[in-house]
Amino acid sequence: MPDWTFTDEKSLALPAVVDLRQHEELFKSVPPPFGHALHKFFGFDPEYINLNHGSYGSLPNLVREAADKLTTLVESNPDKFIRFTSLPLLTHVRERLAKFIGANTDEVVLVPNASHGINTVLKNFEWQQGDILIDATTTYNSIMKTLQYISDITPHPQVSEFKLEFPTTHAQIISSFRDHLRSLPRQSNSPNNPQKIVAVIDSIASNPGVLLPWREMINICREEGVWSVIDAAHSIGQELNINVGASGCDFWITNCHKWLLAQRSCAILYVPKRNQHLIKSAFPTPYTYVSPSDESFPRFVLQFEWTGTIDVVPYLTIGTTLDFRQWLGGEEKINAYCHSVALEGGRRLAEILGTEVNIRLPIPSQIKYSWAIDQTLREQLLNVWNTYVAHFPHNGKIWVRCSAQVWSEVSDFEHAGKALRAICEEIVEAHGK
Amino acid sequence: MLPGSYGSLSKPVLQARNELTTLIERNPDKFMRLTFLPLFMHVRERLAKLIGAETDELVLIPNASHGINTVLWNFEWLPSDILVVVTTTYDSILKTAQYLSDRPPHPQVSKFKLEFPTTHAKIISSFRDHLRALPRRSSFPDKPQQVVAVIDSLVSNPGVLLPWKEMVKICREEGIFSVVDAAHSIGQEVGIDVGASGCDFWISNCHKWLFAERVCAMLYVPKRNQHIIKSAFPTAYWYVSPSDKHFSQFPRFVSQFEWNGTIDVIPYLTVGAALDFRQWLGGEEKINAYCHSLALAGGMRLAEILGTEVMHGKDEDELTLNMVNVLLPIPPRIKYTEAIDYTIRERLLNDWNTYVAHYTHNGKVWVRCSAQVWNEVSDFEYAGKALKAVCEEIVESHKDEL
Repeated sequence: MPDWTFTDEKSLALPAVVDLRQHEELFKSVPPPFGHALHKFFGFDPEYINLNHGSYGSLPNLVREAADKLTTLVESNPDKFIRFTSLPLLTHVRERLAKFIGANTDEVVLVPNASHGINTVLKNFEWQQGDILIDATTTYNSIMKTLQYISDITPHPQVSEFKLEFPTTHAQIISSFRDHLRSLPRQSNSPNNPQKIVAVIDSIASNPGVLLPWREMINICREEGVWSVIDAAHSIGQELNINVGASGCDFWITNCHKWLLAQRSCAILYVPKRNQHLIKSAFPTPYTYVSPSDESFPRFVLQFEWTGTIDVVPYLTIGTTLDFRQWLGGEEKINAYCHSVALEGGRRLAEILGTEVNIRLPIPSQIKYSWAIDQTLREQLLNVWNTYVAHFPHNGKIWVRCSAQVWSEVSDFEHAGKALRAICEEIVEAHGK
Repeated sequence: MLPGSYGSLSKPVLQARNELTTLIERNPDKFMRLTFLPLFMHVRERLAKLIGAETDELVLIPNASHGINTVLWNFEWLPSDILVVVTTTYDSILKTAQYLSDRPPHPQVSKFKLEFPTTHAKIISSFRDHLRALPRRSSFPDKPQQVVAVIDSLVSNPGVLLPWKEMVKICREEGIFSVVDAAHSIGQEVGIDVGASGCDFWISNCHKWLFAERVCAMLYVPKRNQHIIKSAFPTAYWYVSPSDKHFSQFPRFVSQFEWNGTIDVIPYLTVGAALDFRQWLGGEEKINAYCHSLALAGGMRLAEILGTEVMHGKDEDELTLNMVNVLLPIPPRIKYTEAIDYTIRERLLNDWNTYVAHYTHNGKVWVRCSAQVWNEVSDFEYAGKALKAVCEEIVESHKDEL
């Protein structure tokens, strides 16, 4: 095992402390093609057809190996690891991720998940009466509830919901969003106490799983003096050339344990330097917290280095994940493949169901999408057909969302089509006409 | 190896973790959507029984700080409200109180001074005086003043047991909420019985003395207080707004802590393996009887080797459970700097391959040793050798301060 005793290093790559030579050897070989050939790199049940990577993510076996080795190291001497080794390893990961998304290292911190990151931002604002929080009808459900909660407590800022229904076009969305912002009630408070309007904007919505014109929406926010909090939970590892710095967004949060294939759970909170004074406290408040009056305020990065005992291993194995993706062909190749499978697979699925892409289920709109139907879909897919896709109502119809990942092939979509057709027939049968 | 700070993983728990991880990776959707919840509920049942609570009064959170912050951030503070902390409160919790006070509408922070050595009787008496001296009036005629006290059951530095049950009673007498920071309690303190204690909130780390996998902690909120915890952090999909017409009919506490964004749920689910392991070792009472007597004997030997004293003096059973505090032979005239703190840490870990928590208290430098099931007196003797050498080095290099 490599020597991991005390080091002065400010930034350490993981191979410096655990033996990853096996991976290094693997990465010298030719990678397998995308598709089912990659199943063996993941821990999947061979019978399971995984078309819902988007929900919980999955890590490659070799990332799990790195994680297990790291855990063994941590357990051999937790005090030594946490007090000496973890910080340089964490700094190195932050450096790599910052480069990946087009940010400065000191603008990037790691948090357990996107919800945690978004809650950290929203709950740090010192809300006043007259302030407004904006979400969209497609905002992730728990984030909608976060806004609701903030509005429910004193001093009751308002929530303004932007209606977003698909199908629609980016141009239409941009135009409606601008109209929506311009119609908001504006207050002129005192200059050192301005009205705050904060918009949560998805880069990629969850249900439906669609890309929004988030950069243009940020521009509109900037024009209108509105803060932009980008819920980019699905972005890293799926969206190319993110470049948060250039986007001008105020806050940006993404899950590494989704499309980036990192270990559960790990997310990025990006806060450009100009906004770091707004994030007064991490959650939980760490011992490094200082009052705004302190000359070292805000100590942004420091606050997120230690927030009570957490499992840092998922954060620290991100390097292995990035190396794996590099070996598979790199971000552009990976996403070109996944994108084409999503398109072709979606087309085939719609064909089998006799519906249209973005994929509508053949359940007549007279049948209300109840908890029972939701339950039936879930149980039948998982227990009977050994597959899963996200399913949800939107704009009066029922849809499914399929995630195309590096291990997916069109035949997976065909299997899902068979499954969904059978289940929907059963549902329609059970509900009469 | 001393687990008070970060906990440690036993082989049975490691095995449970590996098996559960393999299972979830076979089919994450199936696991999270169908398998997880019943397993989770079972863990909550077992833990609730252990601490004398009802299952529906107990939820799991990542760590004690998260749990305590969840409670404190949920209060809707007013300017005349008061957060009561202690000079021995854990540093990040002191900072939490400071942050909440820094934030409009700026509730006050009142700090109760606690210095060791002292006795439980003195602590109880001073605490009562402190609470009675607080200004009690509300800034608003229609809103009652909220006074919330954070009370450690076991302090971190020094590692001592407080008369927390009596302090909770005093809080009740004075109409003050008690938030018990019991981070070190479960797996170390026997006969906890939170229900009978009458505390308002109680939080403990399972990944310390209970041997659960990092990270896993418990938040206990008796039914009468659950309305105060309006939202988990992050806010859950199951959050119910007071404006919702079905507000009073929806369950609002446990459901809010079942899903708060994707996390690694495996540590929560390995608690059973940890409890089984401890049961096999002999059970809570046997384990703690061993650790307690070792802490006393080990502390005594350590003090002998260092030529100093144990903090608990004659009150050994009052102040000491499984953590024992021993004075370091560093004259108080030498200022305890960050450099000295660093030297102790670095020498212990790199040169001597051991570790004990070290800190200043009441003008002196102390160490806190945790006695666990794998320890023996010889471990304390070894630490004594190490500390003696390290302190000699420090005293030598600072001799011009003497």
